[in-house]
Amino acid sequence: MPRALVIEDDEVTARDIVAELGAHGLVADWVADGREGLARALEDGYDIITLDRMLPGMDGIDVVSELRQRDVDTPVLMISALSDVDERVRGLRAGGDDYLTKPFAPDELAARAEVLLRRRRQGANETRLRVADLELDLVRHNAQRRDQELTLLPTEFRLLEFLMRNAGQVVTRQMIFEHVWGFHFDPGTNVIDVHIGRLRRKIDGVGHLPLIRTVRGSGYVLAPAD
Amino acid sequence: MRPLTDAWRSTTSRLIIIYGALFAVWCVVLLGIVQWETSRYLSGVIDQMLASRVHYLEGTAPRNMRATVESASQIDVQGAMWMGLFDAQGRHLAGNIATLPKELAEDDVARSLSANLASPTRKVTARVRGLAHALPDGTRLVVAKESSTIDGIGTIIRHGLLWGLSLTIIPGLLGGVLIARGPARRIRAIQQAMEPIREGDLSVRLPISGTGDEVDLLAGTVNATLTEIERLLGEVKGVTDNIAHDLRTPLTRMRTRLYRLQQQFESRPEGDQLDACVGEIDTVLSRFRALLRVSELEDRQRSACFETMDLCTVLRNVHEFYAPLAEDRGQRFELELGRLPPLRGDPQLMFEAFANLVGNAIKFTPDGGAVRLVASTDAGGDARVDIADTGPGIPPDEREAVFRRFYRGDETRAKPGCGLGLAIVSAIVRLHGYSLSVGGNEQGAVFSVTCPATA
Repeated sequence: MPRALVIEDDEVTARDIVAELGAHGLVADWVADGREGLARALEDGYDIITLDRMLPGMDGIDVVSELRQRDVDTPVLMISALSDVDERVRGLRAGGDDYLTKPFAPDELAARAEVLLRRRRQGANETRLRVADLELDLVRHNAQRRDQELTLLPTEFRLLEFLMRNAGQVVTRQMIFEHVWGFHFDPGTNVIDVHIGRLRRKIDGVGHLPLIRTVRGSGYVLAPAD
Repeated sequence: MRPLTDAWRSTTSRLIIIYGALFAVWCVVLLGIVQWETSRYLSGVIDQMLASRVHYLEGTAPRNMRATVESASQIDVQGAMWMGLFDAQGRHLAGNIATLPKELAEDDVARSLSANLASPTRKVTARVRGLAHALPDGTRLVVAKESSTIDGIGTIIRHGLLWGLSLTIIPGLLGGVLIARGPARRIRAIQQAMEPIREGDLSVRLPISGTGDEVDLLAGTVNATLTEIERLLGEVKGVTDNIAHDLRTPLTRMRTRLYRLQQQFESRPEGDQLDACVGEIDTVLSRFRALLRVSELEDRQRSACFETMDLCTVLRNVHEFYAPLAEDRGQRFELELGRLPPLRGDPQLMFEAFANLVGNAIKFTPDGGAVRLVASTDAGGDARVDIADTGPGIPPDEREAVFRRFYRGDETRAKPGCGLGLAIVSAIVRLHGYSLSVGGNEQGAVFSVTCPATA
């Protein structure tokens, strides 16, 4: 079972995080202090760490910097009440793998944690992704469904790559926006839905079993039909 | 506001000029009166001398008159007093006045003569006053005296006036300019200090010289007003931000609970209701996010995350991001990029600003309409980006208001949204020192962002 370390000083938030990670099959340990959190992260083999930005004892940014300096590559999901883009950039530059602002919906946290876990498991250097009869060749830059070539625009290709890398995992619209377009603000419209809609028309055309599914109130998941 | 660059336009300079002009007029009038009185007095003295001379000669017997006039005019070698005796036909009988001056009537009234007196020996070149007297035997006696003293005194007075005026007015004007420069400099400093205030930075205060004069007094009052406005705005903003900030946590928890219920009831009719509730809460949360985003942008320091950016790349990304949405609505979405100067800015924020503008343009343009994103360099060398649509346009009286938080015009109320997108755009544009304007007509709105090139 994958193990998670939750470094969070607010007890209510910490309990929510532990419960949500538990619901997604992770065993989570909770630490309320930055210094102690760093010690635990260095000792034990955790698969993922959720790290609050402002902590007693040691700041979240310092914790993640220290971890990276000591070659600990455990994925770190930073959590903070500071939503400013500069803060996100600082958090990510210090070594965080993703950034989530408070307050957050627990399913968003779980989705982000799972994306990080999956990335760690798969490694980022795969050149061929495959989900059911859908194939994506990252080197030749082409996509096929049941041996039939799909014509994708560059954005659609990036979007499909992101969905395929996280196949079976719910990804929120915000996550799609951040990972595919690289921006950190709320686009506030249904543009992501439109992009997904176009991709869906291309890969789930007539005669194919639908692969992209909408998860109400959350986002999308690309998964083989049951 | 017109810059106060010309010292002559200042109040002090104007007052000095008006005062100087009044002073000059007063001097001229005063010395004019003095000159007039002096010349009147001296003329009177001369006239009396002429009258007494006539009176003296009148006592002479008619047969001796010629000899007396002749000898008297010869005695008067300096020519201070002129005399002439003429017969009834005006012929010269005796004396050093050769011809009878025409202006003189035989009425014993002294007059200034315009023509020079002619004498058998010499001509009078100076001005004279003369008097004609009829003698009982029909002859006419003319006496005259030079009045150059009056002119001399007049010249002295005029010179005095010119010297007085030039010695007063020239240093006065120079001094005035110097005096006016002080207040003008201070007003310019105040004007410069007002610039950031006008752009929304209420933390700036007007400079105070410490002399406690009226400019200081005024600046002090404005500063106190600014402090109060800043406090009040801070309070209002603080309340708004706190509401948005504090309500997010309970709303997020409520959303989580509803979401979990919705997951349990997914295949039942309650699932749809719960889904709608989650959707509503998401809308509220996204509005709070937008509201806090505006505050966050307004609070940000100018130096944040700026780099030399390629605005064309930003605009291409915006176009690529929104093209599918426009296509879905059957709209033409055109991108026209000219050569742009290098700009300093935050590409993330500029993407956000243009995304909001383009998103709005697509939202308000009817299906089948057109949206254009055009970037060019204007005559002044600055980059200019226009986002034009074929929507209903923005009425002129609403064009200022659309950038206010939560403002929604009549046309926009029916559309989804919260009226914060343009407030975000405005905050980003201000943060960059760019300018944003809205134009167009009923055939569509045009939002223009002008970005000064980096030198």
